[in-house]
Amino acid sequence: MIIEMSKVRILGPRDRLADVLRSLQDIGVLHLAPPGALPRLAPLQLSSSQERERRHLRDGLENVQRALGELGLTAGQGPSAGGAAPSPADLVRWVRLGWRVRRAAERLKARGAALEEERALILKYQHFFSAFRSLLESEARWPNATAYHVLLKSGDTETIRRLRTSLTALIGDEFQLYAQPLPSGETALLVVVSAQAAGRVERLLAEARVQEIPVPETYGGKSLTEAIPRMLLRLGEIPGEMQAVQRERDALAKSHGAELRRARAGLHDRLRELEALPLSGVTPHAFVLEGWVPADGRGDLEARLTATFGEDVAVSEISKEEWKSEEAPVVLSNPRLLRPFETLIRLMPLPHYGTIDPTPFVAVFFPAFFGLMMGDVGYGVVLAALGLVLHARSKPGTLLRNVSEIIGPCALFSIIAGLLYGELFGDLGTRWLGLKPILFSREEALIPFLLLAVALGAVHIVLGLGLGVASNIRRHPRAALGRGVSAVMIVLIVLALLAAVDVLPKSFFTPVVIALLVAFPVLIVLEGVVAPIELLSTLGNILSYARIMALGVASVMLAVVANRMVGAIGSVTVGILFALLFHLVNFAIALFSPTIHALRLHYVEFFGKFYSPGGVRYEPFGHWTRDTATPAP
Amino acid sequence: MTILFTVLAAALAVAIPALATAWAQSRIGPAIAASMAEKPELSTTAVLMIAIPETMVILGFVVAVLILFSKAA
Repeated sequence: MIIEMSKVRILGPRDRLADVLRSLQDIGVLHLAPPGALPRLAPLQLSSSQERERRHLRDGLENVQRALGELGLTAGQGPSAGGAAPSPADLVRWVRLGWRVRRAAERLKARGAALEEERALILKYQHFFSAFRSLLESEARWPNATAYHVLLKSGDTETIRRLRTSLTALIGDEFQLYAQPLPSGETALLVVVSAQAAGRVERLLAEARVQEIPVPETYGGKSLTEAIPRMLLRLGEIPGEMQAVQRERDALAKSHGAELRRARAGLHDRLRELEALPLSGVTPHAFVLEGWVPADGRGDLEARLTATFGEDVAVSEISKEEWKSEEAPVVLSNPRLLRPFETLIRLMPLPHYGTIDPTPFVAVFFPAFFGLMMGDVGYGVVLAALGLVLHARSKPGTLLRNVSEIIGPCALFSIIAGLLYGELFGDLGTRWLGLKPILFSREEALIPFLLLAVALGAVHIVLGLGLGVASNIRRHPRAALGRGVSAVMIVLIVLALLAAVDVLPKSFFTPVVIALLVAFPVLIVLEGVVAPIELLSTLGNILSYARIMALGVASVMLAVVANRMVGAIGSVTVGILFALLFHLVNFAIALFSPTIHALRLHYVEFFGKFYSPGGVRYEPFGHWTRDTATPAP
Repeated sequence: MTILFTVLAAALAVAIPALATAWAQSRIGPAIAASMAEKPELSTTAVLMIAIPETMVILGFVVAVLILFSKAA
């Protein structure tokens, strides 16, 4: 359900506004909103110094968050609400700390990256040197020759051939070309040419776009033979330097981590306070704050403000006639068992305040549809085990925990449906354990399964139309009546069909058709000329539930095919392995497809009949506790 | 001969919507992936958009089943 909200107005002397806001931040229940139009009341504008402070704190917060990110400390929470408000000196100190630590952390990161890069470069040279050690060592004995070191991608033999041809065409036989494969799969090339031809060869290499490895100047020397020993020495030093960088980073995190987290929470709080100021209305001597609070928390808010400010501050409830329900923030509140399913509702925009929270209906129908599609005792048990593992490995209140708690009922419904269909890993239960279907076998009874799916669709859609009536009856009575007539017509159409196929007595048919003929013009009067199209679309929505049957049949057929692999392939062991693999694939499909389609049946078919999206999220003005609460720029 | 036509009709009832679904999803997939890169909060819409064309092949399958069963009856 959507919990009831009260809109309150807080009045007080203007010089107490900052104190009241601080107190409200400590209480943390009021969702602030700009005050309504009142005589001589103007919205409070931030002064230029407050604007400056806001910009300054924003930059400071950015630095603190980047510093925490660089030091791997982003996951920490803020201090608990109710702590002493940070002093201006604290804010200044935190801004400076953020800038200083961010700079130091980024410098260390850059140093680490440079060391990594240097190590990779030296390793590349080391491989090259190992490949041509003897030749390179004799490089000094080539006084009138120039050596070029080239690296080619693996398998690039065509380039070697083309290079050799081009060099012959360019300088005849005044060159030597050596090729060696490297452990990395690349090919090292050493090209030695006469000093006179060096210029032309350089141009040729540039035009051929081959990756030449020049002797790096950092390590001195003109040849690789001179540079390599220095590089190898450096290679030995790099791990030590990298460890020193890591130690320095750890020390930085240890010495400033806690203070940076305090800074993050403190800066967030002060920024929220500054951003709350323009939500107040002021006269020369008074202020007005308005906002929503859960109805059962209003008394507590009033008592705490009175206890702190006495008669200086007055809190009053604004009557419901003075505000529109669309403006009120929405808080979903459901019993513990149903609460995980709020996750599925939150994937959509929240419902408007004053409309219906569909969580209880989703909690019943989602696992039921999922179970009917998966419908296998074996898969249900595996799914339950998966849910238990997820539950054990997740923390309360996290998305993973909610998912694990949704998996539970889905697995239960799958097992129940599996018993009704007589399925345990497809037809394995029937063949090995003599499991018999209680309701029908999905392999054979396709038409009964189709009828069951469509009947469920009719029930679900009629329920949706009923909820549409309940949701709109006060605000849009005409639309509510239209939904009601649609629901009645759907029921009449179903009755007429049942009478036509002799499920109901034939005598039902004529009165039901007459009732339909009467209801149809009423529907057109209530909903206009689009009513027939809407009605057809609703019938289409009911047929859409046939997907429960289609996916269910596909699931059991794949399971049966998996079981038949044992006999179909020569070796029993290979057959069993194939069957297990196929069951695994089928389980993955049976997990994914029913979820998507059960969601779709809810979001498109069911919600379309009553759900009114666009509700405002309840965000009480309080202390910062986690990273999602970053104020908008 | 009638059986051949029945089976062919059932096969076409699945194959043609399957091709249509594949074509629709091939257009929707890249578009929704690009949208989600910009706005990750569109994940619900992505699920719905991908699932909507599948209705065609599912209904095609239902029609195929009805064709085959009506013949068998």
